[in-house]
Amino acid sequence: MEQVPDGDKTGLDYPLAARGLTFSFPDAGEPLFSGVDLRVRSGEVVTIMGLSGSGKTTLCHCLSGIIPLIRPGQMSGDVLVEGVSTRQLTVPEVASRLGIVFQDPDTQLFFPAVEDEIAFGPENLCVPPAEIELTVQRVMHTVGLPEELRHRNPHHLSGGQKQLVALASVLSLQPQILIFDEVMSQLDADGKKRIRRLIRELAGEGKAVVTVEHDPDNLDIADRVKVLHDGQLVDYQAGWPYCEGDAGRVCRD
Amino acid sequence: MTAETSTDQFDPRSKLVLVMCISSLAVLLQDAVMMTAVLACGWLAAIAFGVDVAGILLRLRKLLYLFAAMAVIQSIFTPGGEVLVSLGGVSLVTSVGLDRGVTIILRVLIIVISAGIVTTASSRDVVQGLYQWGIPYEIAFMVALAIRFLPLLRQEAEDVLTAVQLRGLKLDEVPLGQRLQIYSYLLMPMVSSVLGKSQKLAIAVEMRAFRAHDQRTSYRSLQMHGGDYAVMGAAVAATAVFLLAAWRIGRI
Repeated sequence: MEQVPDGDKTGLDYPLAARGLTFSFPDAGEPLFSGVDLRVRSGEVVTIMGLSGSGKTTLCHCLSGIIPLIRPGQMSGDVLVEGVSTRQLTVPEVASRLGIVFQDPDTQLFFPAVEDEIAFGPENLCVPPAEIELTVQRVMHTVGLPEELRHRNPHHLSGGQKQLVALASVLSLQPQILIFDEVMSQLDADGKKRIRRLIRELAGEGKAVVTVEHDPDNLDIADRVKVLHDGQLVDYQAGWPYCEGDAGRVCRD
Repeated sequence: MTAETSTDQFDPRSKLVLVMCISSLAVLLQDAVMMTAVLACGWLAAIAFGVDVAGILLRLRKLLYLFAAMAVIQSIFTPGGEVLVSLGGVSLVTSVGLDRGVTIILRVLIIVISAGIVTTASSRDVVQGLYQWGIPYEIAFMVALAIRFLPLLRQEAEDVLTAVQLRGLKLDEVPLGQRLQIYSYLLMPMVSSVLGKSQKLAIAVEMRAFRAHDQRTSYRSLQMHGGDYAVMGAAVAATAVFLLAAWRIGRI
């Protein structure tokens, strides 16, 4: 288990940290996970593995402030986003520090044009239109979306392109922390390769990245691999069934 | 970003005014002849805005059959006026009943065509138009999300029906009564799935700083042009004429 230190240094060295995080659904007896400690450095990619139903997505929701700020549930312990507890932040304050991309792009996109999707976040933060124009151009370039897709309806794009639009719309808020919740689960091989390269590039720019995965083949981008097992977040250990073959080498490393 | 980059040369607000006028007439008018005239005007406007009216009616034909059946039932059970069809001394269809039935069908058709006109504007433009009218942006986005969920609901229904048929059920060969029962069984998972998706979408929207401030900036800016004012002026004037005429003949 990682020991998360107190003090302001946590926010500087570790933009995202969890301390003794425990979560139970309302009316559920046993907690889904308990005593979760996690620290993620700037420029680091931490991947969380786990079997279906182990609570990976719920952990993502806790780390991103969705729980307790939007969804209900009994959460104890603390999540620090840039050194500040999510309990002390509003949802928009979290959103400008931390971006989350979900598994299904269809439930993240709702505008009829790619540029509108990307502009939505900055508009909410009252960024001037001229600056939003530059932001749209910049994030489209960052994620590798060609200019000709700018006015296209995101719902008519391929799964990989939709996921890139979802990521671009999150990046337009310029968060320093990114969480990817099984974003590659619906993509083909090319789409996965593209997203994996992009995640590494974003980490290279200094962003703290958490990815949640169930597919061991996507672990090659991780600097560290943690496993959510029996309600505990632990380091990967050789011999566990989560990582086999080539992916197992990455886990062990 | 200006309205010029939009796929449509008309401001969505001019379409909203037109649709409000047509829909109001559909609700207020009681005269079948005048409603037919409104339907004709609406149809022409829809064609002018590039609406595939025939395609919409074809897609909604099952729903229209239902409304037609309701209109027939209404005409049978509404007494008054001249008896047009009787059976063994019992009047089945009266002139008043027939008039009511026809107005129901006309009302539905006018509203369908109005909805078709709205769909020619992008949902983002509709939001922006409402926002520039001074409507709180939360409400304007609620409208956009509702528009977004209509095709989602249809797609969900199609997916559920396809899934059922892939398990060997030939819906076309099932009697109507049993088919309705099957639909009722499918309603719950369908609604549940759509609610789940709407919750996920709401979380995604919140996590992109929605409602961060009381105001928000707009990347897109709409500007009315001469054509928009002409459309709105013609719509309001035509509505006034219809209402005045209906008032004079006492059918309002």
